[in-house]
Amino acid sequence: MAVKRQLSMVLDLNKCIGCHTCTSACKLQWTNRNGREYMYWNNVETRPGTGYPKNFHEMGGGFDEDGALRLGKEPSAEDYGIPWEYNYEEALMTGTDPWLRPNVKPTWGANWDEDEGEGDYPNSYYFYLPRLCNHCANPACLAACSRNAIYKRQEDGIVLIDQERCRGYRYCVSACPYKKVYFNEQISKSEKCIFCYPRIEKGLPTACAKQCVGRIRWIGYRDDKDGPIHTLVDKYKVALPLYPEMGTQPNVFYVPPLSPPKIDEAGGATAESRVPLDYLESLFGDGVSAALETITAERAKKAEGGESELMDTLIGYRHAEMFKLS
Amino acid sequence: MQRTIVTLTALAMLSTPSLSVAQAVEDANIKLIEAYETVKVSTIPDGIYLRNVNDPDDIIWQRLPEYRVAMLPAPAVHQSVELRVNYDTEASYLNVTLAKTSDRFYVRLRWVDDTKDTETAFDRFRDGVAVQFSMGDDETSYIMGDGPDSPVNIWYWRSDKGEVQNLAAGSPGSTTILDEQPVSGESQYSDNDGDPNQWTVVMSRPIEADGDHNVSLDRDMVPMAFAVWQGAEKERDGFKRVSDGWILLDMASE
Repeated sequence: MAVKRQLSMVLDLNKCIGCHTCTSACKLQWTNRNGREYMYWNNVETRPGTGYPKNFHEMGGGFDEDGALRLGKEPSAEDYGIPWEYNYEEALMTGTDPWLRPNVKPTWGANWDEDEGEGDYPNSYYFYLPRLCNHCANPACLAACSRNAIYKRQEDGIVLIDQERCRGYRYCVSACPYKKVYFNEQISKSEKCIFCYPRIEKGLPTACAKQCVGRIRWIGYRDDKDGPIHTLVDKYKVALPLYPEMGTQPNVFYVPPLSPPKIDEAGGATAESRVPLDYLESLFGDGVSAALETITAERAKKAEGGESELMDTLIGYRHAEMFKLS
Repeated sequence: MQRTIVTLTALAMLSTPSLSVAQAVEDANIKLIEAYETVKVSTIPDGIYLRNVNDPDDIIWQRLPEYRVAMLPAPAVHQSVELRVNYDTEASYLNVTLAKTSDRFYVRLRWVDDTKDTETAFDRFRDGVAVQFSMGDDETSYIMGDGPDSPVNIWYWRSDKGEVQNLAAGSPGSTTILDEQPVSGESQYSDNDGDPNQWTVVMSRPIEADGDHNVSLDRDMVPMAFAVWQGAEKERDGFKRVSDGWILLDMASE
């Protein structure tokens, strides 16, 4: 779907420390009220892991090889995790309940499997994968909506749900292979990440990107040759889309994580990376190997005191250079 | 041809002893209405008072003729429906009673539904039923109208809120909630021991109603169509069962 300009985001997974500040920023800004309590428009999940909602990647959606919309399923409340509250007032203030306890039995949540990862010591591994709506160039949610309630803005490619037109059919929820459209039970309509468009329109970055303490996020227009997105995605090709095979052409890109070598039984380093290449390729496609090689080479260059445009970009010295919103 | 099918169906029903025989025999006495057939709207004399306006269980309904309409999956008009619909299925039936007083029009709808789905939640879909009226004649497409100049008026009963929404549409995907909401309704779900469970819904509206998209019931012939959503099958939107074409309400009959 051609738009005049496309805003995009790059996230460097080498820098994400899994602090969830992005998620907190998003939640405080948009989803801590009015039926959105369970939603994480932005979440940070541990990989390898089930993701959020649970096993979303096995729920279908997206497009097949011929470009036809694929059937997907709607996650259950349990797949998301049912939000709970504590009886602070009764337990801590009035003393009418001797126990501080949640109002629903917690059995699953967005980070239930946090930091679990895979493998055995010393070859155990995990990394963090922050996720938000990909504001895809070919959005499955948009294609699935029978009411044309979903649209992609011409000026920046942000994908939005027209709340006046939405009648809560949830075709979008099942069609999004990333499960980044959420059904609001309170209003019987679907809602999603809006790429903080009211902030974007004021020249401000999204809340998740602005608050990121690891400075892992860059925002800019894909066609801005001097901007960070073009540098990372197109020039050095170190930022890759998640699950590109789903056919939606995401506009959120990830710099895949480098990892130390695997250790053999004798305690020596092997040629294999601790995070298996085939696992990374299952997430980010064929470009992983080349991306990791480029980063390794540029990192070495910088470490030896040389110049590296790529490393200077990835370090993210100044917010003004990380967020190019005009 | 149609007669042959009915006969075979009746034979099949009689040759299969089961708990639903009673239901089948009862239904066999209810006239099946075909598309574009004319149906008389019964008149409730002004001297008769209903317990309350939309009571599905009011004794009056036993005194009025009931008809049956065959319901089949609606033709898919969007790929999201196409992905879900199964046309290889038998017809189900919607039982319809039509009545009017001097100032109000009533429709009572009754259909078998084993599962009572009254929730609109993450992966849960509600049962529903709707009647659709052509604002004009029966040339208007029964699949949600023919554009803004040939719209339809829809009364949609939703089980989650137990209310009727007054809607208009000019084509599939254009359903709009109207500012005026003159339609009211009530429902009853019967959990019948032995017999099939069923929904009964009554909707009604004053004959006179203002607003550009409220169907005029003050005319001799009104084209009407039906839709049913089975929540347990995740039906919503155009993923539903519908009557095949309009039936024509004879409003003038006494």
